[in-house]
Amino acid sequence: MLSIKNLHASVEGKEILKGINLEIKAGEVHAIMGPNGSGKSTLSQVLAGNEAFEVTEGEVTLNGENLLELETEERAREGIFLAFQYPVEIPGVSNLQFLRTAVNAMRQHKGEGEMNAAEFMKLAKEVSKQVDLDPAFLKRGVNEGFSGGEKKRNEIMQALLLQPKLAILDETDSGLDIDALQVVSNGVNALRAEDRAILMVTHYQRLLNHIVPDYVHVLAGGKIVKSGGRELALELEERGYGWLGIKDEEAANSAN
Amino acid sequence: MKPAPTLSAAFLHPAGQLLPEPLLALRKQRGTALVDMPLPTRKTENWKYSSKYLKLTDDMAISLPADGKSGSSLAVPGYRVVFLNGVMMPEASDYPDLNGITIERFGDLDDDTAATLADRMDSTLDNNAVQMARLNSARFEDGLLIRLAPDAVLDQPLFIVHEVTADASGSAYPRIFVEAGRHSQITLVEEYISSGGESVMVNTVTEFTLADGANVTSIRLNTEGDNVQHIGATGVRQQRSSRFESHCVGFGGPLRRHDLQVRLEGEGAECKLNGVVVTQGKQHYDNHTTIEHVAAHCNSEETYRNIAADQSHAVFNGRIHIHQDAQKSNADMNNKNLLLSNGAEIDTKPELEIYADDVKCAHGATIGQLDEVSLFYLVSRGIGRREANVLLTMAFINELVEQIPVEQVRETAHSRLNQFFDQTFEGA
Repeated sequence: MLSIKNLHASVEGKEILKGINLEIKAGEVHAIMGPNGSGKSTLSQVLAGNEAFEVTEGEVTLNGENLLELETEERAREGIFLAFQYPVEIPGVSNLQFLRTAVNAMRQHKGEGEMNAAEFMKLAKEVSKQVDLDPAFLKRGVNEGFSGGEKKRNEIMQALLLQPKLAILDETDSGLDIDALQVVSNGVNALRAEDRAILMVTHYQRLLNHIVPDYVHVLAGGKIVKSGGRELALELEERGYGWLGIKDEEAANSAN
Repeated sequence: MKPAPTLSAAFLHPAGQLLPEPLLALRKQRGTALVDMPLPTRKTENWKYSSKYLKLTDDMAISLPADGKSGSSLAVPGYRVVFLNGVMMPEASDYPDLNGITIERFGDLDDDTAATLADRMDSTLDNNAVQMARLNSARFEDGLLIRLAPDAVLDQPLFIVHEVTADASGSAYPRIFVEAGRHSQITLVEEYISSGGESVMVNTVTEFTLADGANVTSIRLNTEGDNVQHIGATGVRQQRSSRFESHCVGFGGPLRRHDLQVRLEGEGAECKLNGVVVTQGKQHYDNHTTIEHVAAHCNSEETYRNIAADQSHAVFNGRIHIHQDAQKSNADMNNKNLLLSNGAEIDTKPELEIYADDVKCAHGATIGQLDEVSLFYLVSRGIGRREANVLLTMAFINELVEQIPVEQVRETAHSRLNQFFDQTFEGA
């Protein structure tokens, strides 16, 4: 489904990704782990199409289509979804308006009719229950005044509404207490499907206890330095990043 | 030193003689006072950013004809009064004969009423601060006097449509005076529109006096064409426990100037002033507001938003003057500005003068652009660029648009805003 070949990317002239290679097939769940500054978030942003990052080399295809030639909104309509590490607060735009506009943009792209306000409200209320968000939040501004956990649940709710082909979860576990982590994980597990892939970017192993990946990759210095099955995450937890030759100071802390 | 330009004598010869004698006398007296009046230049403090947009030629001094031919469809449901080039059109107007509410054109006033009105005209405005609007007092040819007896309530909004037909160069001077008696209540919508493409000026003055406990809502919508220079002044005087609410929605033009002056003269009076301005192309819009806290225990709340696209220019000047005896005043002024292009300009200036020591007075002003991160967030959900830009821009003003208490005005505002978005975000 997603094929990344020799991907290089820079921000403000500084190279962050230095040749990423990754193949993800439909139905698979991949986890990318690594110390701070290894390029995990950059990879997420580049895949979603953030123009602040410049791709200098390599290629990315989604089901054979060149992703790098598409605008951010076109990528989203082709099925890329990024759950943000820091979801944005947008006062003045209600969650309901935001979510309905997004869902209808997708439906229009697929040649389906727009959902009217009443139809959408019904759907939104159902999905908000799945991530344990009070439907009253729909009337508030986008993420406005939300707690960290509510913001993350709102991200997962959007993924459930938009039904992407590839869901990229950037540090979705950060800032969550154990109950919220359980809710978010249930939401992500509900997303698992044969025709959908999930790419989780995470600093900590604990998320992987709740969402069990098929593959684990270690990203360091802008490259994938080690790949393995789910047992690799456990090994990282036990031994840290040091045995992989990663010298980052963060590395020692990150596996704790 | 080059002498400052003065108002051309051509502007001091009113044409229409429709008015009763006391108003003709007033007009003549006001005209005499304007002889040799210097026009504002960029050294004139209250016209500093706007004087360069003021372009008065002698052919614009000619009164536009009020021949009854209306260029636009004025299908306003409910109560309405139509002014064409500053003269009321009775056949296009429709308003009720309600107990306690008198709506009369100036031309129909008896001499006694006209004399009383003449005494009160201009009394709500600081004439030194609204120098250009003084021209209205020297030139008005008709007007509307609305009087509400104590406890009278107008059950629906009254629309006043001011249309200017710019088929030739000229000017128009609409004039409104509203006397709201004790505990009376009215919602007045003033809509300024134009047809035709010649250079014209609309110079308009609206005055409100609110007796104890009166409740007045004033809505003002400016959508005239790019050939219309608009100079307007609104003066308000409020007595004890009265409430004045104003909603101004304005789209830019070659010159747009509105002075809004509110005097809180009785204890417990309160005013709420909202404003939304949208400019594009090379358009201009200048709002000057003044709130005088004269009496104690009064509240004022002011929220203005400017959005400037392309090479346009918006100005906001908000003055709050808290007099020495106005203890326990509570004033809150907020002005936020959104620049949609590098070529746009917004000038904002809060002016606070406080002479009482036990007051709460807050003010804030910001200028910013659309947030790139928010934009990325929206498009990353499949929302198109234009739609994302519109959502973020509307987020900036939506609260104010939704507060306008008349649905039809909100609809007109939304439809004009959509035109603006189509032009501003085309190709986005």
